[in-house]
Amino acid sequence: MATDAVRPVIIGPRDRESFFEAQRRNRRATWRLSAVAVIATVVMGIPLALTITPLLYAAMLIIADTVSIWAPLPPSFWQYANELARYGMVGIGWLTQGKAGNPQALVLGLAVLLLPGAILSVGLWLGVNALFHRAGVGGALLALKARAPNQSELKELQLADVVQEMAIAAGLPVPKIMLIDAPAANAAAIGTSPNDARIVVSRGLVEQLNRDELEGALAHLVASISNGDLPIAFRVTSVFETCGLLVAIINAPFGRRSRGTLWRIVRYGLFGKKDSESAALEATAMFALLTRSVGLDTDDIDDVFYSASHKKSIFRSVRTFLLFPIFLTNTAIKLSLWFFSFSMLGLSMALLWRKRKYLADACAVQLTRNPNGLAEALRKLNSERGPIPGGAWASHLFLVNPAGSDRMDDPRANAAQQQMWTRMWAASEASKTSNSSPSAPADLPSVMRQITATRSAALAGDANAIARITAFRQAAATALGKSVDEMPSLTEIAAAQHGDAAALRRLREFGNTKTTTQPAASNSQESFDSSNTAFAGFFPSLKRRLKCLDRMGAHVELESDGGKSWIVIAVLAVLLGPFALAALALLLILIAILTLASLVFLMLWMAVIHQLFVVFLHH
Amino acid sequence: MSNATLIVIGLIAAGLLIWFIAVFNSLVALRVRVQNAWADINVQLKRRHDLIPNLVGAVQGYMAHERSTLEAVTEARTKAVESSSGTVADRSQAESALSGALSKLFAVAEQYPQLRAVESVQLLQEQLTSTENRIAFARQFYNDEVMKFNTAQATFPRNLFAGMLGFSPATMFAAEETERANVQIKV
Repeated sequence: MATDAVRPVIIGPRDRESFFEAQRRNRRATWRLSAVAVIATVVMGIPLALTITPLLYAAMLIIADTVSIWAPLPPSFWQYANELARYGMVGIGWLTQGKAGNPQALVLGLAVLLLPGAILSVGLWLGVNALFHRAGVGGALLALKARAPNQSELKELQLADVVQEMAIAAGLPVPKIMLIDAPAANAAAIGTSPNDARIVVSRGLVEQLNRDELEGALAHLVASISNGDLPIAFRVTSVFETCGLLVAIINAPFGRRSRGTLWRIVRYGLFGKKDSESAALEATAMFALLTRSVGLDTDDIDDVFYSASHKKSIFRSVRTFLLFPIFLTNTAIKLSLWFFSFSMLGLSMALLWRKRKYLADACAVQLTRNPNGLAEALRKLNSERGPIPGGAWASHLFLVNPAGSDRMDDPRANAAQQQMWTRMWAASEASKTSNSSPSAPADLPSVMRQITATRSAALAGDANAIARITAFRQAAATALGKSVDEMPSLTEIAAAQHGDAAALRRLREFGNTKTTTQPAASNSQESFDSSNTAFAGFFPSLKRRLKCLDRMGAHVELESDGGKSWIVIAVLAVLLGPFALAALALLLILIAILTLASLVFLMLWMAVIHQLFVVFLHH
Repeated sequence: MSNATLIVIGLIAAGLLIWFIAVFNSLVALRVRVQNAWADINVQLKRRHDLIPNLVGAVQGYMAHERSTLEAVTEARTKAVESSSGTVADRSQAESALSGALSKLFAVAEQYPQLRAVESVQLLQEQLTSTENRIAFARQFYNDEVMKFNTAQATFPRNLFAGMLGFSPATMFAAEETERANVQIKV
C-alpha cells in the first residue's frame, strides 16, 4: 500500500503476541484458576458443613422428641440415633484431640459430621441455581429499563448492524440488543447461556464511540458470550447467593429481616410464574438481598444479643443462655464464610473472571482483526463511563467496571484536560485585553503558576488581578457548560483557604460534579458489588488490558511506569508479608476453634434438651 | 493365546474403533460447519444484491454526473447475481469486483455533501456498509472454518484415511486482485 512506503517500518515490541497465543494462554489460566476455585469451595465447605450438621441433628432431635410425645417412636430409631452419635463422637475426638482409633469408625464419624451439612449446602446451591435460572434475564432488563433499539435512527441502526456483524464473525446466533437511556458509556452481556443472551448497551456508548470502536466493544461482548462466560458468571454469583441463603437460614429464628428474605424466596419458589414481569423483578430483588447478607455487617442475631445485654430481664437472660450454642455456630459460619469468600473463593473467582476478560479481549481481536478499535473504545470508556441505574448488581458483566475501580491514568485524556485549562486561561486573557493576541503559554505548570499568582494577588486586593480572575471564571463556566453563579467565587476560595468547612465542602462538591458524573455510592449498598466479595476486583486494570491489546498490535501510547510500582509492591510484600501471613493463620485458627467450640456446645445443648424432654415429658 | 491377551487385544481394537469414529465424526462436524459458513456468506451476498438497486435509485438524482460509476455498480451486480450458481472461485471473483465498484461509488459519494445530508441515503449507506462488513466477517469465519477443516484433514494420522473417507480440502473465499486494487484508490 502506498501509505506503508511512507510510514517508517515499525518493529513491534519484543513480546508481541498473536491473538491465538493470547487466547491459549488465557484459556490455560482459566482452567488452572477454576481448579483453584473448586478447591477453595471444598475447603470452605468443611467448616461450614461441620457447623451446619449438628444444627440439623439438633433440629431432627427436637422434632423426634416432640413427635414421640404423642406417638412414641420405635426403640430402633433411638438405637440408630445413638449409633450416629457414637460415630460423631469419634470424629469429634479426632478433630479436637487428634487421636485416631479405628480408621473405619473414624471415616464413618467424619461422614456423619460432614455429609448432612455438605448435602444441605449442595442442595441449596442447586435450588438457588434452579430458582434463578428460571428468572433468566427478564428481571435484569426490567431493572435496567432497557428498550429495543430504534432501527430508523442512524446511530441505533449502526449498533444493531454491528452486533449482527460480530455475531456473524463469531458464528453465533444474533443476541438481542437492548438499549438503556443512560448518559454513561458502558455495555454488558447478560443472560445465562448463549441462547438467551442479551447485549445491553447504554445510549452514551452509542453516542460516544465511532463505528470501529463500537465494533471492538461489541466484539468483546460477543466473544464473551461465545466463550461461555455467561454460565460461568451465573455459577460464580450463585455460589455467593448460596452463602447468603445459608446465613439467612441460620439467622431465621432470630430476626424479622432474615425471615422476610426466606419467606420471599419460598413464596417465589412456590408461586412465582415463569414469564411474569413481577416475578422477574422479584428474582432480581432477592438476588440483591442474598448477596448482601454475606459479610460482617450487623445482622438479626446481633440485635438479639445486643438487646439481651442491654435490657436486663430474666426472660432475656434465659433466652440468651439457651441460644448461646447457636450464637457460636452463627459466628463460626459467618466468620468462615467471610474469611473464605474474601480470601480464597473471592480471590480465585475474581482472578478467574479477569482471565475471562483478557480472553474475551483476545477473541474480540480475532473477530475484528482490529485491536485498535477495542483499545480506543476502552480508552474512551475509561473517562466516559459511569454508574448505570439498576445495573450495579450485574457490574461484573459490563465491559469496564461501572464503579470505576479499574480506572487508569490516561496520558491522552490528561493532555486534553491540560489543553482545556490552558485554553480557558488564554480565552480569559483574550476577553480582558481584547486589543492584542494572547501570548498563550504552552505548558500547564506555568499556566497553573500564573493562575495561583493572580489569585493571591486578587485576594490581596489587586484590581487588575480581580478583573482577570473574574474573566477566567466566565471562561471556565462557558467551557464547562455551567452558569457563572455555579462556579466557586473568589471569596469562597479565600474562605476555604482559611479553613471554612462549608466553603471547603462546596468546593469539593463542585470538583466532584466537574470531573465525573458519579452520584453518591448509595446504590452499591443494596446491590451486588463484586468488590465487596473479594480483596481483588473482578476487573483487570484497563492499563493492563490495553497493554495486552498493544502486544496484539494496537497502537496505544501509554507512559510506562518504569516498573517502579513493582518495586514498591515487592518491598511492601517483603515488609508486610509475614504479618499478613500471621494474621491469616490466626484467623484460620480462630475459625477452627470457633467451629469446634460450636460443635461441642451444640452436642451438650442437644444432650440437655433431650434430657429435659425425657425427664419432663416421657415420664 | 491366553484369555488375558485376547481381552487386551479386544480392548485395543475397541479403543481404536472408538478413536476412529471420533475422528470421522469430528471431520464431519467440521465439514458441516464449513457448509454452514458458506451458506451464511450466501445469505449476506444475497442481501447485498437486494440492497444495491435501492441505493442506486436513491443516489441517481444527486449523482447525474457519475453515470459511469453507477453503471459499473449495476453491471458488477448483474454479473455477481449470474455467478450465484457457479463455483466458489467464480463467485469470489465476481463478488470482489462488486465490492470494488461499490467502494468506488462510496469514494465518489464523499464529494456530494448534499447527498450525505439526506437521512434515507445515510441509512441506506449504513445498511450497505454493514452488508459489506457482514460479507467480510462471514468470509473471515468461512475461511477460518476452512482452515480448521483442511488442517484437520492434512495432519497425521488423519491424512492417511481422510481421502479414503471422501473428505477433500475446501476452497478459501479469497480476496481477489481487483478488490485490492480498488481499495487502494480509496486510500
